[in-house]
Amino acid sequence: MRTYVLKRLLIAITSLAIASLAVFSLPRLIPGDVVQLMLEERAYGKDLDDLRAKLGLDRPIYVQYFEWAGRVVRGELGESLWTKRPVLEELGRRLPVSLKLGLLALLFSMSIALPIGILAAVRQDSLADYVARSLAIVGLSVPGFWIATLVIFLPSLWWNWSPPIQFTEFGVDPWAHVAQFIIPAFILGIASSAAIMRLTRAQLLEVLRQDYVRTAWAKGVRERVVVLKHSLKNSLIPVITVLGIQVAQILGGTVIFETIFGLPGMGRFLFDAINQRDYPVIQGVNLVIVSVVILMNLAVDACYAILDPRIRY
Amino acid sequence: MDASQSKLTRKLSRRDLLRTGLAAGAMLSTESALASRHAWAQPKRGGVLRVWGYDPPHFDPHLILGGKTHNTLSFVYSRLLRHKVGAEVAPGSFIIEPDLAERWDEVDELTYVFHLRRGVRWHNKPPVNGRELVADDVKFTYERFLTEKGNPVRYMLDAVDRVEVVDRYTVRFRLKEPFVWLPNMLANPMSTWIVAREVVEKYSDLRKAETAIGTGPFILERYEPNVKTVFRRNPDYFRSGQPWVDGVEWVVMDDAVSALAAYRAGKLDCGGWHWWSVRQQDLAAMKKSHPHLGYQDFLSTVTNRIWMRTDKPPFNDVRVRRAISHAVDRQAVIDAVYLRGEPSPAVSRGLPEWSLRIDQLGPGARYYRHDPKEARRLLADAGFPQGFKTQLSGTSGLGADLVDALQFVQRQLKEAGIEAELRIQEYGAYMSTTTQGKFEGMAMGPFAISWEPHSPLYGMYLPDQPRNSSHVNDPRLTGMLKEQMRIKQLEARRKLIFDIQRYAAEQQYYVDLYSVGITGSWQPYVKNYAPNPTFDYGGRAAALWLER
Repeated sequence: MRTYVLKRLLIAITSLAIASLAVFSLPRLIPGDVVQLMLEERAYGKDLDDLRAKLGLDRPIYVQYFEWAGRVVRGELGESLWTKRPVLEELGRRLPVSLKLGLLALLFSMSIALPIGILAAVRQDSLADYVARSLAIVGLSVPGFWIATLVIFLPSLWWNWSPPIQFTEFGVDPWAHVAQFIIPAFILGIASSAAIMRLTRAQLLEVLRQDYVRTAWAKGVRERVVVLKHSLKNSLIPVITVLGIQVAQILGGTVIFETIFGLPGMGRFLFDAINQRDYPVIQGVNLVIVSVVILMNLAVDACYAILDPRIRY
Repeated sequence: MDASQSKLTRKLSRRDLLRTGLAAGAMLSTESALASRHAWAQPKRGGVLRVWGYDPPHFDPHLILGGKTHNTLSFVYSRLLRHKVGAEVAPGSFIIEPDLAERWDEVDELTYVFHLRRGVRWHNKPPVNGRELVADDVKFTYERFLTEKGNPVRYMLDAVDRVEVVDRYTVRFRLKEPFVWLPNMLANPMSTWIVAREVVEKYSDLRKAETAIGTGPFILERYEPNVKTVFRRNPDYFRSGQPWVDGVEWVVMDDAVSALAAYRAGKLDCGGWHWWSVRQQDLAAMKKSHPHLGYQDFLSTVTNRIWMRTDKPPFNDVRVRRAISHAVDRQAVIDAVYLRGEPSPAVSRGLPEWSLRIDQLGPGARYYRHDPKEARRLLADAGFPQGFKTQLSGTSGLGADLVDALQFVQRQLKEAGIEAELRIQEYGAYMSTTTQGKFEGMAMGPFAISWEPHSPLYGMYLPDQPRNSSHVNDPRLTGMLKEQMRIKQLEARRKLIFDIQRYAAEQQYYVDLYSVGITGSWQPYVKNYAPNPTFDYGGRAAALWLER
């Protein structure tokens, strides 16, 4: 197990190094640069050159990359070209917001998906199964931002009321702080739960048809034990795999939800930075997202080994 | 001189004068109506104003053009002169009045002297700690404005040679050339905020929120990126009694639907969109469900235009440009996309004092008529009987309306034989290429916000200006623009500005499209407030009071 995790860790570090190259170079391939944007519509030629030199963007790109990579290794992510605020400090404020939203979404997703998936599998072709499958298709088909827009707008139209759309710090009002995450996280979790529910159902159905399960039934083991103890664990590996992918999708989805619900998370930070070509911020946020996804996949790999002891690297 | 040129210089007809008089009368009646609506009330102190706001990319007024920064800074800073605010000011009128300067003299056409108010104090924050504002501060500010590398609005004061301190409370502006628009530029709520030397020296620039220390009505208390900026009342503000509110929460709501929901639910005191407005598509429902709110219609001071490479074929042929103008049905785009607005000449219809109605444009007015047949005829005359293919660039970063309008115009151009491939750019790419003249074919979008006619005309038509996106180089137009900069007599200057618009309408270097309609809105308990599309939100917030 230890060797397995160590090997996975080595692969993760290599992936991170490769990703850092992409994270650094891709933003620079987008047409238009930060200097032109800073000077907006009134750029005089000399101003462009002066500002580019002032920001250190006039040096060869590989020099800029190695400088940045060196700083990253030392735990620095540089400072925003626009605001001059340290990227790390800003991430420290925004990462918890996105993580709270993402984790709560995952929690909702799992809380909805697993019980319904199990129920649909165990009661295959019953009314409950049909309802669950139909709801899953609706969940997959209806875009989350559309649901979010309706949730925000309709109460204001009918009752002159709107859910919290103004961020409140935990220290100011703990309940309001938690409450503002509930609706966006629930909606964000819906689409994810639909996919996981369908997969759980399909995998569980497959396992339930295997010989050892039939043997358990024949021995007179209770349904609860057959399903939850003997079958569910063995059907979870693909589900865990998808869960790892869902983390990346949920992190991507936070951009829209943070905008709609006024949450100052990483998604909005990244969106603004891309619009402004604020390279250090784009690099910093993307590096963090890549790291979270890689770590999540590492965790998923570790889970494989726990769920199925036969899996070894 | 050909016939069209002779008509350019014709005097205003009696009918024109009558129309202008009627327009002015309508404006005055709006003013008096607004004044009568609020003038009886006595100001009431207290309460926190909670309004839709912007998240500034940074806080340095001399390193940015964008409104997000200047709108936010308007709460904190003052300038030498300003545009009048309050309920009696009709939207679209930008009346200059003293701000930090209590009066000013035009000594000669190259010298202006400004006399500062005495006893104006900086906010009581380090490093200025509430010291008095003096002439040195003004000199420092404008020297920084003129020399700071990367000031995108330096063009505004290109005519200024130097700023001198006469005494502790007097500054003198020496000009390189006559520039009658100087007071307008100093009242422009864009980059003309007076900043303190100590703050710049301490922080090296003014990008961080903690550098926003001014002499304005509010003190910046807290900035939460992407969330809000909180201002508290400046107790030492130099305008007696103001601000009436104890503070302002300048709330960032990037999503239009969320902001509308917040306004509907009473979580915002003024409309939840740009200029504290309600979007036109939401207006009918809003008026039906919330008839008790204040509503005020006005036009944007920005004109949406098509610009093109007039230095290259086929757009260097005036017949082609006129054909494009004929091809576009401006009113149809307004009706379909923006719901309200007005076809506009080179100076936006949002500046009624300086802008001509289309039917006042003389011979050039005919090119505003939607006439695909005539467009085809003109194209055939220009050697394109089958039309031609080109590009039409725009951005998705300025909202869905613009993308809809682009598609609409693309279809109209096709009817006239012009196959324009739509090139929708992401905002950053658009700003750093297309708006700076780096594009092929045509482009379309809003540009050149202004509160006087000089800035957009000068920027768009002078050959050496970076904002000359159509690559115009017309000596006659350049001459007219240079000339109006030295005409002191207002009516004569206005006449020349009108002539420039008539000439521009004939030449169609830019196919000016329309100024879109805006509807400002506010809660009934917000008093002494009238919307106006300027960046001086802070000035308006200081003048209003709340009667909840």
